Amino acid sequence: MALSKDELKAAILEKALNGPKAQLYVKDFYACDPEAGPRDVKNAANDLVKEGKMDFWSSGSTTMYAAKGRAKDEEHR
Amino acid sequence: MPKHDTPLLDELEKGPWPSFVTDLKRQAEKKPECFDILGQLELSFRDKITHWKHGGIVGVFGYGGGIVGRYSDVPDRFPGVAHFHTVRLNQPSSKFYSSAKLRDICNLWEKYGSGMTNMHGSTGDLVLLGTTTPNLEPLFYELTHDLNQDLGGSGSNLRTPECCLGRARCEWGCYDTQDLCHTLTMHYQDEIHRPAFPYKFKFKFSGCPNDCVAAIARSDFAVIGTWRDDIRIDQAAVKGYIKGDFIPNAGAHSGKDWGKFDIKKEVLDLCPTECMWMEGDTLKIDNSECTRCMHCINVMPRALRPGLKQGATICVGAKAPILDGAQFATMTIPFLEVKKNEDGEYAEVVEVIEKIWDWWMEVGKNRERVGETIMRVGLPTFLKVMEVTPLPQHIKEPRSNPYVFWQEDEVEGGFERDIKEFRKRNAQ
Repeated sequence: MALSKDELKAAILEKALNGPKAQLYVKDFYACDPEAGPRDVKNAANDLVKEGKMDFWSSGSTTMYAAKGRAKDEEHR
Repeated sequence: MPKHDTPLLDELEKGPWPSFVTDLKRQAEKKPECFDILGQLELSFRDKITHWKHGGIVGVFGYGGGIVGRYSDVPDRFPGVAHFHTVRLNQPSSKFYSSAKLRDICNLWEKYGSGMTNMHGSTGDLVLLGTTTPNLEPLFYELTHDLNQDLGGSGSNLRTPECCLGRARCEWGCYDTQDLCHTLTMHYQDEIHRPAFPYKFKFKFSGCPNDCVAAIARSDFAVIGTWRDDIRIDQAAVKGYIKGDFIPNAGAHSGKDWGKFDIKKEVLDLCPTECMWMEGDTLKIDNSECTRCMHCINVMPRALRPGLKQGATICVGAKAPILDGAQFATMTIPFLEVKKNEDGEYAEVVEVIEKIWDWWMEVGKNRERVGETIMRVGLPTFLKVMEVTPLPQHIKEPRSNPYVFWQEDEVEGGFERDIKEFRKRNAQ
């Protein structure tokens, strides 16, 4: 892992907040630190959800991540 | 909420079978939102399109699975189902409940949801159908604190592990399916409750090759009980079946007169590898040819039993037909002794699981099941990842590609060579 856990979380949040896509798969965050393992990336992304900075969006079969407030709930689509 | 006219749905009450329409009408007397389920479904039948939107940011704090958001796309017409989320509960191993537990769950669901359930979903979960977003947290609190019940998996999580009845009721269980299922459920709580993978991942545990939870057809990781020694034969009982002292199939097909039991027609000739024969009145089996189809054991359970050196075969990669059609799991580890270590863990099973996950999390594409990844990269690559030596049983037909692709480390001297030296020894 080239980045520390906090740096990785910051990079993931930056991508979720300012990237072109509002909703991202966990694999979309792998590029935030190509040296980090998939487990490190998913743990960092899941921590951000726990901290209330990101949301899980789930279709029921797949789960995606979005910065808080960026994903639109199906109720309002 | 008013009743809706449902002439199309009413047709579904006319057949000989129990009807979910009747159930919904009965439940609507207590929970009027069920009238709106009927109304919306009638509209879907007429429009020939679903009126459910699925997905969303619904869930309970700390969990990234177990609840599937569901909304009506015609909420003004059917306000009772404007939100109608599904809750998945982790079923106990082998689905053993006390009736008191089922009553408690149903009472809780009447309090916070529509009262409608699906017992059970395809992964085995107890599925509670229809609640609203504000009810989710109080429901979850009471489920976990009062009923000692947890949510199951959904989304890109490890789905709720499922097992057959196993040794609790079945003499053919080759390992303790319930204990393995429960131990791995506890071991992988993080993966069940929070997304971890490119897509869903399912474990299923069957105690014998009858595979009563259809692990080989429905799970990414199927652990199917087997044995590596000989089928145990009680020759006196074989004679008993031939004489008609015992009912074949333990009476499972006794509703019709099939005539006298014919061991040749009903057992020997149906063996897929033709590895059974009679010598006088003694049954013989060439066990090295047995493919564990279980037919002979199922027909003569008093006479034949699985061997005593028991364990499991691990198959990987089954899936339903979203991409490229349905797929059975591929036999990957022919035999693994399923035993707990002194720390109470099934370390050898865990090692296999994590080898698959580490590779699939890296190589699998978004929304690609592990079976699809294996198909995309090819079985030889997967076997190399798993550090498994290929066996004839890994392929379903003789090799059609005439080339052998050697790796450099498999060739003596590697791929580097002195071309002049080579020319000296070979024709110009």
